[in-house]
Amino acid sequence: MAKTLFEKIWDSHKVDEIDGRSLIYIDRHMVHEVTSPQAFDGLRINKRRVRRPDLTFATMDHNVPTTNRSLPIADQISAMQIKTLEKNCQEFGIPLFGLDSPYQGIVHVIGPELGITLPGATIVCGDSHTSTHGAFGAFALGIGTSDVEHVLATQCLVLDKPKTFEIRVDGKRKNTHAITAKDIILSIIKKIGTAGGNGTVLEYRGQAISDLSMDERMTMCNMSIEGGARAGLVAPDQKTFDYLGGRKYTPKNYDELVEKWKDTLKTDDGAKFDKSFAIDASQIIPQVSWGTNPSMTADVTESVPDPAEFAKGDSSQEIAAKNALQYMDLKSGTPITDIKIDRVFIGSCTNARLQDLVEAASIIKGRKASPNVRVMVVPGSQQVKKKAEEMGLDKIFKDANFEWRESGCSMCLGMNPDILSRGERCASTSNRNFEGRQGAGGRTHLVSPIMAAAAAIAGHFVDVREWV
Amino acid sequence: MGKVIKYEKDNIDTDVILPGQYLKLHDYDEIAKHAMEGIDPNFHSKVQKGDFLVAGRNFGCGSSREHAPIALSQCGIKGVIAVTFARIFYRNAVDGGFLLPIEVDEETYKKISDGDQIEIDISKNQIKNLTKNQIYSMKPFSEIVAKIIEAGGLFKYKPD
Repeated sequence: MAKTLFEKIWDSHKVDEIDGRSLIYIDRHMVHEVTSPQAFDGLRINKRRVRRPDLTFATMDHNVPTTNRSLPIADQISAMQIKTLEKNCQEFGIPLFGLDSPYQGIVHVIGPELGITLPGATIVCGDSHTSTHGAFGAFALGIGTSDVEHVLATQCLVLDKPKTFEIRVDGKRKNTHAITAKDIILSIIKKIGTAGGNGTVLEYRGQAISDLSMDERMTMCNMSIEGGARAGLVAPDQKTFDYLGGRKYTPKNYDELVEKWKDTLKTDDGAKFDKSFAIDASQIIPQVSWGTNPSMTADVTESVPDPAEFAKGDSSQEIAAKNALQYMDLKSGTPITDIKIDRVFIGSCTNARLQDLVEAASIIKGRKASPNVRVMVVPGSQQVKKKAEEMGLDKIFKDANFEWRESGCSMCLGMNPDILSRGERCASTSNRNFEGRQGAGGRTHLVSPIMAAAAAIAGHFVDVREWV
Repeated sequence: MGKVIKYEKDNIDTDVILPGQYLKLHDYDEIAKHAMEGIDPNFHSKVQKGDFLVAGRNFGCGSSREHAPIALSQCGIKGVIAVTFARIFYRNAVDGGFLLPIEVDEETYKKISDGDQIEIDISKNQIKNLTKNQIYSMKPFSEIVAKIIEAGGLFKYKPD
């Protein structure tokens, strides 16, 4: 029977069925400091060990400072959380890429970078953006702390089989610098909504997806969760295999594996998806979110919408849009390009890989940030930082008065001191524009790295197609 | 029996349920003090043990932080009644044995008001509104979810 890629991965990892749910074997488990402490406590209380420490990898990212790492962490509670992960990894024998490691970084940036992420694998992490790893043709999903404990103890997860949802992106982007993977995924979420993918695994397919680099595919898969999906994936191709070759944890028999994957890791002709959605890449232009969830997004050429028009007769959506405009301090009819900003954040597991930084740097050379705008560039990992510095990107950013910082989640979720003040408006390359996400009372507009960099220079949003 | 605290909103996300700055806290009582802070800073003082939170569609969307159901549960919330739930929140609520994620249709959601006293009867899949003297049906839990809830969480549940 013809199967989708997801169904093949599912079937090959099913250990058992229990009370209507499946027990799924987990190939890779990524752990970070915020969602793991209670899970390790649970293991200790019940005198359990970590079943496969060799398949478990830890780093610290959510709560780490992005300033000078040689100084002690000022916030005692943060310092304690970081210390706790160090102690837990030591006690349970888990490899840790800690604050002083050259491999430290955002968990979803370092997984692929170190070759921990593999095609056809099942990957979990106590973080919703684990969907990122799906870019390599893996089934990767975010879990909570109870499930983290379950995977640490058993290397398995109890799951209901998700439905399959085909997302076709045909055609070609009109400008591959100005129109990015971020604009494609925001355009999709704008259409399917924040719960459109609920209970499904998305498979991104079509010409425009094949055309994307691995960094760009990660941006797409990363935001699958913002459309409500359990996971998102892209079938692996030569770009995928080339990316993962020769990395720190790439398997020794990699070439052999690649030959096998080439034959098997794809959706069969004639396989049926439970749902389908299609979008034409040639019609997509740069996107800017205006509201308080990622589906509240507009083309850069549009204006802030009228709540009633946005809601199309759905009263609850109309109320949500009105509330969003109030929170965001925006008026219907204001052109997106007239919205002035106070802050810019270039970072996060969505958009802090090397290509993101290259694109952002490409349009600021010889320019300066608007004097009213504070800009932070936070590389996704220390490896990304190192490579960017080898290319001289740090100098370009610093010359433009952009802050060049150490890697971590930073202002994406406002756990460390990198936060917005109440009322501040930020052009952010992160994934969530929820109320208070980047700091209580802060206002977030989601954009691509190149759009964020251009906004930093201009002091307001611009149609970056006019710049490149 | 518990009282209803209702927010007529869809997409109540985990950053509203427990803002990121509190994810560094380890103590459940400390976490509970900040429940729903993004929407209602007084939430913590309003809740009494056994109360219910009622909201619209896609409750708990966003992060996988289990701190979100922990914050609500530790305040005293027994169950969240919503039109739909984001899946990670739903799993965390059940697997950690924190609270009941109860799905109802739009009609029922509209009929339940802030301050109503209600009672849940899982065996009959019923919600009794004692204030309004009405009975609503709730969406039944799947077989395994019902068993995990009965056991008090994933780790207490033993398959047959």
